[in-house]
Formats: sequence, structure tokens, C-alpha cells
Amino acid sequence: MHDLRFVIPPQDINREDFASSVPDFNRRSEIMRTDFGYKCMVSNIVRLTEQEKLFQLRIIDPVERALFRFKPGQFLMLEVPGYGDVPISISSSSSNHEFLELCIRKVGHVTSALFSIKEGARVAIRGPFGSAFPMDEMAGHNILLIAGGLGIAPLRAPLYWLNEHRDRFLDVHLLYGAKEPSQLLFTWQFDEWKMINHINLHTIVERADPQWLGKKGMITDLFNDITIATATTYAIVCGPPVMFKIVCSWLDRLGIPMNRMFVSLERRMHCGMGKCCRCMVGSTFTCIDGPVFDYWSVMNLKEAI
Amino acid sequence: MIYKVISKKEFTGFVDALVHSNRSFGPKQVATDHRGNAVYQFQPVHSVADIAFDYSATASSAKHFFLPFREELSHFHFHGNDWEQQISYEANPVVLIGLRACDISALNILDDVLLNGHFPSPGYLARRKNSFVIGMDHLPLPDCFCKSMNHHTVTTGFNLFCSDIGDHYYLSINSSKAFNFLREFETREPNYDDNCMLVERRKLIQNGFQTDIDVTALPTILDIEFDSPVWEKWGDKCLNCGTCAMVCPSCYCYSLTESFDTNLNGASREKKLYSCNLVDFAVVAGGHNFRPKNGDRLKYRYYHQHRGFAENASQQICVGCNRCGRACLAGINPKDVINDLRMEKESCMTCVSSSPRKI
Amino acid sequence: MEKTMTHKGVPFERLKIASFDFTCCEGCQLQLANCESSLPDFLGLLDVRNFREISSERYDDYDIALIEGSISRQDEVERLLKIRKQAKILVAYGTCACFGGVNSLKNRHPVEELIDEVYPGMAIETLPVRKISDLVEVDLFIPGCPVDKREVERIVVSLVKGSLVTLPKYPVCVECKAQLTTCLFELGEICLGPVTRAGCNAVCTSGKTPCLGCRGPAEEINMAAFLALVKERGLSLDDLHEKLAFYNAFEPFLNHEA
Repeated sequence: MHDLRFVIPPQDINREDFASSVPDFNRRSEIMRTDFGYKCMVSNIVRLTEQEKLFQLRIIDPVERALFRFKPGQFLMLEVPGYGDVPISISSSSSNHEFLELCIRKVGHVTSALFSIKEGARVAIRGPFGSAFPMDEMAGHNILLIAGGLGIAPLRAPLYWLNEHRDRFLDVHLLYGAKEPSQLLFTWQFDEWKMINHINLHTIVERADPQWLGKKGMITDLFNDITIATATTYAIVCGPPVMFKIVCSWLDRLGIPMNRMFVSLERRMHCGMGKCCRCMVGSTFTCIDGPVFDYWSVMNLKEAI
Repeated sequence: MIYKVISKKEFTGFVDALVHSNRSFGPKQVATDHRGNAVYQFQPVHSVADIAFDYSATASSAKHFFLPFREELSHFHFHGNDWEQQISYEANPVVLIGLRACDISALNILDDVLLNGHFPSPGYLARRKNSFVIGMDHLPLPDCFCKSMNHHTVTTGFNLFCSDIGDHYYLSINSSKAFNFLREFETREPNYDDNCMLVERRKLIQNGFQTDIDVTALPTILDIEFDSPVWEKWGDKCLNCGTCAMVCPSCYCYSLTESFDTNLNGASREKKLYSCNLVDFAVVAGGHNFRPKNGDRLKYRYYHQHRGFAENASQQICVGCNRCGRACLAGINPKDVINDLRMEKESCMTCVSSSPRKI
Repeated sequence: MEKTMTHKGVPFERLKIASFDFTCCEGCQLQLANCESSLPDFLGLLDVRNFREISSERYDDYDIALIEGSISRQDEVERLLKIRKQAKILVAYGTCACFGGVNSLKNRHPVEELIDEVYPGMAIETLPVRKISDLVEVDLFIPGCPVDKREVERIVVSLVKGSLVTLPKYPVCVECKAQLTTCLFELGEICLGPVTRAGCNAVCTSGKTPCLGCRGPAEEINMAAFLALVKERGLSLDDLHEKLAFYNAFEPFLNHEA
């Protein structure tokens, strides 16, 4: 009687001869991270508007916390056990190794669950995932940041970077539009950005209230307020899908090269790792090729913006 | 790769021993369809007699042995405010007998996606390595178009591949495990005649294809034809039932859901294979659907199958087995859709070339 | 038992639930007592206020009302309206409540004929069968003949935890293919799987019984294409019509037929 039994236990998997390709399994620790996630404590919750809250997360394990790194523009999969996970862009400084800040709008059931948790609760984060804004490449240039509504959230990380390395950049403009004054986020930082960091901040709202002294109109109405040297400018655009097209084509007309305009796209993601294909746009995955794309790449992608 | 020749009788003994020692699956007839044709599926087999070696093609692919239709990815056990997450990367060994070249090609494509990408999938790896794949060549069915996709032969991705050369099998041995197992059985080195017969067999297969799809420059054509009425035409037929993706050997898109246990002490994260044709595939939180129309979703399937991948790993993921075409109740099949697209292109070309003279 | 339980340190209210049967076989309510292994846990989530089949105690302070059955008498209409007033969440529980169910077969015949056949010579007051959403607003539909206990469990847990309550939007084919079932159309039969909402785990089709659509239409189904394929295959349109009408679940699509 022949005995042709076989079992390959996990520890021997790398040694087992394999029919096809040879995966790099030195990355096993990384794999564990993508599956398990970092446990975090919700250390602070700030209600920004009716719909948005700013969550401060602190990775519980001190070693993991110290080693956690991300680049401005990247996102996390935020896991609320039992409810599921959602992709959220990181809104805090990449040099802040104490805590992470995530600005979250209540739209789906996971974010609703998040809105009901209190400080001290635990959540998990997987990641960071995705592409980042090329901050080093942008150094030595003028920077034009354009944010519509919640689009300010992914812009806050690069904004921190600019502030921390302000001397490396020329003029920095931030155009920020919202539906109404109460929807403007991070207003407590406006003065700091303007006075300390020398950021030219231009805000505009669609519907003003009596207290509003600023401009009223669409984000495009701010375009005439600024003069930029297009040859030396990088632009970052973030906002609702309709905004991309209008703003990017305006920047294009101004003469900013398409590969110096960056956008951050949003799609439903289930994995964040380029496996589930839910966030596929044309031939690209928002999660691994994006969320940050230069305009040239997305204007080529059908359905992207 | 090591090549050997084994008599069919000895091979039967080898497979029987393998089947007796391991959990095994092979092609089995499960029904007879209304036209009188046998319907095959990969089913559990307990002896070599269970295996229909002369089967045509299975209705569903062998994908689910590596990517189950439904699996629990992890389980959370709650303790007060904290939890413990349990993930199992163990896999039960499995022997798969009788896979076609295209089926094995599809596994190689899955390897590319799930193991060589940014984030390798340990669960898939454990299953892939704990499998013993025996491939078998076959004469193409009238609607097979794997030759067009260049997947009618395969040189890697299996433990053992058998080519039928009369009363013997010509074996391509691609793993030490297969080599060791075969030590216990009588094989011989291929001689000149065996080699000739192998070449003949290959030719026979090569020339047996009746369906040919022109995939030249298909990625470009798909790009150009993004707004083609062809998508709406075929989309109008589509039932959004997801059958095509379920039977496909290389479709791997999925959906994650998380749910609490009934006792609320735990929760599980479950993965389900999904299809881009299902209505809510591209729905985002808040309810917006990026692909609200049948045609949009169908188009994305073709994009992923015949183009999407081109930019990620430089290969199309369709292997040309036409399982989707056979299974589609609405009669949507790659051959007709792609040919339709190409016709579009040709008619456009005609008008482009003739227009200057008209002006 | 105490009313408040805690989970992860957060107290949660057990669902104050009541179950009522109308014109039905009560099979769906019996499903509540199915899946014995998780039954104690399941009941632990519930504070049963009114449920004829489980307990003789009757209270009227429920939040969630499960309605089983369709409506076929005037007194049922009044009872249903009264329940609607009390319930915060009214659940159409089972195919009869969701769509009218098998009972709707009655609507094909004149009432007098039916009374003559079933209760000859008796004075019977009866109405055409209606689904409950014809009479009251329904917050949640749990279709199925009978309902799937695992789905009910999942929905109850979601209600307790305040997470998303969903039914699959895709058709039965997805689950059927996952079981490697041979397509019933391949065997020359008409199966409503391609247009019926999944969630049943293809229990009928994997037993080689064509789907009759007890869970109602999946989302955004392509009925025109479905009719076309039945015709193309030369299958009986009468058979198709019979199946579509069986649970009354495809009523909005029946006029499609050309």
C-alpha cells in the first residue's frame, strides 16, 4: 500500500516547492499587519459639525506607536470590530508619532457606529495604504491647495507638512470652500496657518449667514483673487467629484502642467490592498495606485472624475 | 521540469494511491443537460474509478479550492473593551486531478494577483501550497478560445501535467513532491517515439480550435470603445446575476461583511466572492452608485478581464475557457462581445479613411 | 430576567418584540424556534412581550412587531392598524406578509366560488388577499417561505447593535453557483433564480427544485431579458407565468409579458 499523504504546515510553507511563482515571504510581518491591524484607543473626539467629527487615535502598543509611519495623502482602513472597516484619509501630521487624527463624516453604518462610541473606546487601524503626495518633489515651488467641503481632511496632512517645512516652499495658497460658514472645518487653525505659517488662506461659502464677513459664492470665484506663477506651482485638489473637473480644467487653462496637479479620489473599498477590486477605476485601483493621482493619470481614466 | 512516461494502467494505480491518501477532487458527471450532454463538476473522489478522465469541461472552475466562495477571514472575541482577533492560515491539503491547461493558467494569474502584488495573501498561499495539482491536456471544445488568449498550454503552476499519448501519459513533473510520489511507481524516460507522439498530440490540440478571438490591441480598443453602444446592447441582455464571475477561473473580486455573533461576545469578518455585474458592486457609503447601468457593469467585467490587468501586471486575466459564455443564460459570451466591439472599430475606420475625400 | 444587558461595557436594551399571525401557516414564526444551538443566545436579545406560540403572557408595550401572514379579513385590517400604531418598527415577516404569498392564489377566483368550494352554505366574510404594505407602512421586510432563521438572527443582532440591516441585493444565482449546482435551465426547466433575491443559500435549486421566487425580486432585475431568454429557449410561458404568480412576489413585473 502506497502512502502519498502530504501536509505543509505554515512554518514550512516558504520551503515547499511551489508550482508557480515564488512569493517574497520575508514580508510576513507586514502581512500580519494588514490582516490584524493596530489596536488604538480613541483618545479624543471633537465634534466639528453636525455630520463630522475629528477622532484622535492613539496606538496602544508603545513600540508599534513609535514605529508607525505614514506619508501625507495616505489612508487607513479603520476597523470597528463587529461593524466593519472604512477607508479614511489621515488628517494629522506625519511627524506626529503620538496620535493620529481622522476627520470622519457620518455617511454609512460603520461611521454611524463610530459616532456612537465614546473616548476611551478601542478601534483598530490597518495600513497605511495607498499613494502619497510627492512632498519632496514639490519642495522649492509655489503650492496651491484647493479644498471643497470635507476635502480639507486629506489636505490637512500635506498642510502640516508644508507648515513644518515652510522654508522649503515658496508661496502657499489654500482655497477652501464650503456650503455654509458652519461647515468650515478646522477654523480654530485658520489664524495659526495665516499668521505663523504664512499661508494665504482664502475661504468662501455658498450660503452666507449674517455673521459671515467673507466671500460668498463657489470655489471657482476665488480663482480671480490669486496670482500664481504657473511655471513653478504644484496644485493639490480635493473635494466632491464635481469639483475636480471644474477646478482641474481651470488649472489646466492657467498652464499648470497636468503632472503637477494632484487629486485624491474616493471609492468604496473592502480590502485596501488591491484584492477586492471594489475601488477599481478603469484599470487602476484607488487603494494601491491611488488615492493620490496626478491629474494626467485620472483624466485618462474613464469614470474617474 | 522532469519528463517521464507512464503507462495508463500504472498511472491509474498512482492516482488511486494518491486519492486514497488524501482529500481529493476530480471531474465527475453530476447531471445530463436537456440536450443530452453530460455536465461535469470537480467533486470529491474516493477512488480512481470515480474520476471521469475523459470529461469535456467542468461547469465551474477549480478556483474555489483556493478562493472559497465564502470564508471567514477572522474572528473577534470580545473581552470588555478589548478583543482578541483570531485568524487561521491553516489549509487542508487537497489533491486536484484533471485540471485543464487553462485552469492552471488561471491559477498562475491568481498567484500573480494574490501573491506577487503589494500585499500577498497568506490564506491563499497556504491553500496553494497545500494542493497537489495534476493537469491533463484535452482536445478543445468547439467554443474554447484559450488558444487566442495563449493559455492552451501551460508550463508552470502544476505539480504534474499529463499529456495523452495513446496508451501512455507523457508526464511533466514540476515539483519534488510529485517526483517523490512517482518513485514508487513504474515510469520510464521518454524515448524518441514518445517525444514524437507528444509533438503530434500538441499539434492535434493546437489545430483543434474552432473558436478564435482576435485580441490584438484589445486593451486599446476597449479604451477607445468606452462609450460604445455595444455595452448598452449587451447590457440590456445582462441579468446581473453574477454567474459569469462565479464560474470564472480567474475572477477574484470580493466583498467583506462583518457581523456580530448572536451571543454578542464575538464578531466575524466574512469574505464572499462577488461579481462586478451585481448591482451594488460600486455603491459607496451614502448610496451613490458609480455604475448604475447594466452596461456599465458588464463593461467593467470586460475591462478587468481583457484590459484592466494590462496595466497592473501586463496580462489579461481571461484564459479563454468560455465557462462564462456557457453558463450565461442571456447568451453573453466573450467571443460575440469582443467581435462586436471590433466591428464597431472597423466601421469607424472606414468612415475615417473615406471622409477626407468627401470634404 | 433583567431588562438591560451589557456588551463591551455598553448597556443595550433587549428588543421588546411581539409577533402576530394573520392569514398564514405560522411556519415563519416556528422558524424563530429553529437553530437550537444559538436559540438561548437569540432569545437573550429579545424581551418577548406578545407571542402566542412561545408564551401565554401578553403585553402591549412592544417596540418591534413581526407580522406574519397576509390580510384577508376586515378584522385583520383593524388589528394590523392597531399594531402599526404601537410598533416603532413593523416587520413584514415572511413571504405572505411581504408579497401576499401563496394565499394570493385566492384572488384569481370570484369570492362566491371560493366560499362555495371551501365553506359551502356558510356565511363567510372574506376579502381579497393583500400584502401588509398595501395597508400600513412597513419598516423592514424579511422575505422567505419560510424565513431563513440565520437571516432573522443576523437582522435581530443588527437591530440590537444598531448596525446595518441589509438583505442581499443580488439574485439567487450567486449562491446557487457557489454550490456548484447544475443550472435548472440546463435541465430544461424554468427557474426564477436569476430574478429572485438571494439569501436562502439556494436551498431549493441545490435540491434540483426550480426557484419560485419566495424572496421576491432582487434589486434592479432585468425582467425583459429574463422573459426573452425563456422564450428563446422555447420554454412554456404558461409555466413561467405560473411560477411568477406563485407567491405574488412578481406582481409588478407581470404586465411585462408581451
